[in-house]
Amino acid sequence: MKGALELLQRVSAHPDARCWCVAWSPSGTWLASCGGDRAIRIWGKEGDSWECKCVLDDGHQRTVRTVAWSPCGKYLASASFDATTCIWKKTNDDFESLTVLEGHENEVKCVAWAPSGNLLATCSRDKSVWIWEVDEEDEYECVSVVNSHTQDVKHVVWHPTQELLASASYDNKVCIYKEEDDDWECRATLEGHESTVWSLAFDPEGQRLASCSDDRTVKIWKESTPADGSSDESWKCVCTLSGFHGRTVYDVAWCRLTGALATACGDDGVRVFKEDPTVDPEQPVFFMSAHVPKAHGQDVNCVSWNPKEAGLLATCSDNGEFAIWKYNSDS
Amino acid sequence: MASHFSGVLQLTDLDDFITPSQECVKPVKVEKKQGRSVAKIQIEDDGSYFQVHRDGQRQKLEKAKITLNDCLACSGCITSAESVLITQQSHEDLFRVLRQNKVSSSEQKVVVVSVSPQSRASLAAHYGLSSSEVARRLTSFLKNLGVHHVFDTGFSRSFSLLESQREFLERFSRKEVDKKALPMLASACPGSCNQLCDWFSTTRSPQQMMGSLVKGCFASQKGVSPQKIYHVTVMPCYDKKLEASRPDFYLSEYETREVDCVITSGEVLKMLEEENVSLRDVEVGHLDTMFSNVCGEELLGHAGSGSGGYLHHIYKYAAKQLFRVEVDELTYKTMKNKDFQEVTLEKDGQVLLQFAVVYGFRNIQNLVQKLKRGKSLYHFVEVMACPSGCLNGGGQLKPSSDQTNKELLQQVEELYRGERPSVPEQDSRVAELYQSWLESVGEEKARQLLHTQYHSIEKNTSGLSIKW
Repeated sequence: MKGALELLQRVSAHPDARCWCVAWSPSGTWLASCGGDRAIRIWGKEGDSWECKCVLDDGHQRTVRTVAWSPCGKYLASASFDATTCIWKKTNDDFESLTVLEGHENEVKCVAWAPSGNLLATCSRDKSVWIWEVDEEDEYECVSVVNSHTQDVKHVVWHPTQELLASASYDNKVCIYKEEDDDWECRATLEGHESTVWSLAFDPEGQRLASCSDDRTVKIWKESTPADGSSDESWKCVCTLSGFHGRTVYDVAWCRLTGALATACGDDGVRVFKEDPTVDPEQPVFFMSAHVPKAHGQDVNCVSWNPKEAGLLATCSDNGEFAIWKYNSDS
Repeated sequence: MASHFSGVLQLTDLDDFITPSQECVKPVKVEKKQGRSVAKIQIEDDGSYFQVHRDGQRQKLEKAKITLNDCLACSGCITSAESVLITQQSHEDLFRVLRQNKVSSSEQKVVVVSVSPQSRASLAAHYGLSSSEVARRLTSFLKNLGVHHVFDTGFSRSFSLLESQREFLERFSRKEVDKKALPMLASACPGSCNQLCDWFSTTRSPQQMMGSLVKGCFASQKGVSPQKIYHVTVMPCYDKKLEASRPDFYLSEYETREVDCVITSGEVLKMLEEENVSLRDVEVGHLDTMFSNVCGEELLGHAGSGSGGYLHHIYKYAAKQLFRVEVDELTYKTMKNKDFQEVTLEKDGQVLLQFAVVYGFRNIQNLVQKLKRGKSLYHFVEVMACPSGCLNGGGQLKPSSDQTNKELLQQVEELYRGERPSVPEQDSRVAELYQSWLESVGEEKARQLLHTQYHSIEKNTSGLSIKW
């Protein structure tokens, strides 16, 4: 079952700077990119090509590291090395800065919206994970600050259906957070990676979590409910994809529509993995379905599946480009 | 080294990349040569540096070497200043002074220990005693070791509460003219955010108020020079160690600090364990009444929160003085979470006073944002860095294996409340000291003894400090 990745378009999005992140809007029609030039660019399809519709270059004083769309598509959050997170509101053809979330001591690495749309998570090199709440008047307030990691926190991601948060860190660990009483706390720590964990992705049902690391592997974790009925939550690593990546794996994305797993690698390659359907899901097996060895001229930083169009994939690189690909599972 | 500090005070600038700090104590040692010549430096292909003298002579320059030992002793680079100050202050230091007293008759120091009500309650929970019983046994234990006086910071807290009340009224009176007059924030907690210092009350905390009393009043009454007094306080957290080290509390005239050493409740337990003593087995002693909030053999406390009761006392006083309203019981309304509460005084639909309790980092963050944007409607906020306040401080004793944190905290709170409340305005000994000591030194000196000031620390941004 060999698949293929076809390049549709290559765009020089952030000239002379790294392109750190690409994110599709929930409708699948817009692509937001951000990078070392401190700007956010919004791209839309015109005919067959992707054109820049909007440039937001006055929101941050330093590199913009991550952009994330709210579940309703009306807001965009941007996390920056200037220690702030900016919330933008979509007006007709433009975005206006709604508010700036301050508090982190240094570079904010990632921002993520909860599926409910009421909560936002940010994480930083200051080792902390912050959870924010937004009310009906678009006012943001800090709900909790959790210090479970001992090093730089690289990524935060919300569970697709439950109010559960996961974070990945330079301390090689993954933390899972839940709300208890009026505060958020770390409920489980996933250990196994031998180096920095760069990114995380939940599977479409939210039953498994994929993590990728500087140790050149991708791990799949599953929450196990102990047979004795005790409330001890633990996540077990049920699969490790090793030997596929030549360098650090910087990002992993799990397609909601097809279940395919895409990775962004420091060896400039983009890979897509598929699950072997004949195998027991408790001990899954993934095989590499497609691989573009030199997808970009430099490190691939981010990979993102289009939420509406199956097989449409965006990637971006240190050379300031992003690329749009079409993935076919059988070719 | 694990950080014991409250979440608000953290080790900053500790990260993957070590950049040269502008405060590094190991600058390149240069052997200064007399003469007016300007040195020329030549860099060889292999990267070595040669200084070319006027006469053409070349001298290879030594590379500056920084070892880990240098760095650990420094305050500006790998470790932050706080860690260094901590190692200078511990129960080891108290033992050292007591040992010194026994050995040398010429280097004698008068050793005074001031114990906080929160520490007493923590020890009480651990040993299954009442707070007053802890006080009396702890007094014996410490005196057996050679400590001369054991006081209670509940006494100095009466001064802090009275001064806070007066300060609030003064600030309230000029709120129309001075936009920064209100809100007034309690400043007794040294862990409170740097960004809040514009609004801090200038009233000294009970610890530093005791510093004034011991090294000022006590010293002059006993005819002892302040540097001959070794003043220790027993506190529920580590942040108090930093407060004691602040330059504002250093008496340059006598080259001594107002509080020489701060030990935590946990460190007192260590002392007892090192001496192989259980507080339950120590004989009951008499309380030193001079600077203790005492009634017979019982210590008295104050109404309000376990963090000193600032909101309680200022609210009641302001309600009475400003609006002639007698408040019997305060109604606390819990907001977003249990560490964020509001108390409102309303009359005929109008809000007269709006006070709040804000504990813990996340709530302080939200308060900072509201203050920065001018969106805070509070007149007074009791701000504390630790969730649940001082009774839950980082230096308090930990729960036993069969007890949860929550259960222990509840127990400590009950024991804390076991010390019956006293009313600062009605304390005759406090009033007497205001008259005999504070009034006698003059208004300006009295202000120095009762109040302090705050300095915002500006972060230096330069090329060296940018993290790539």
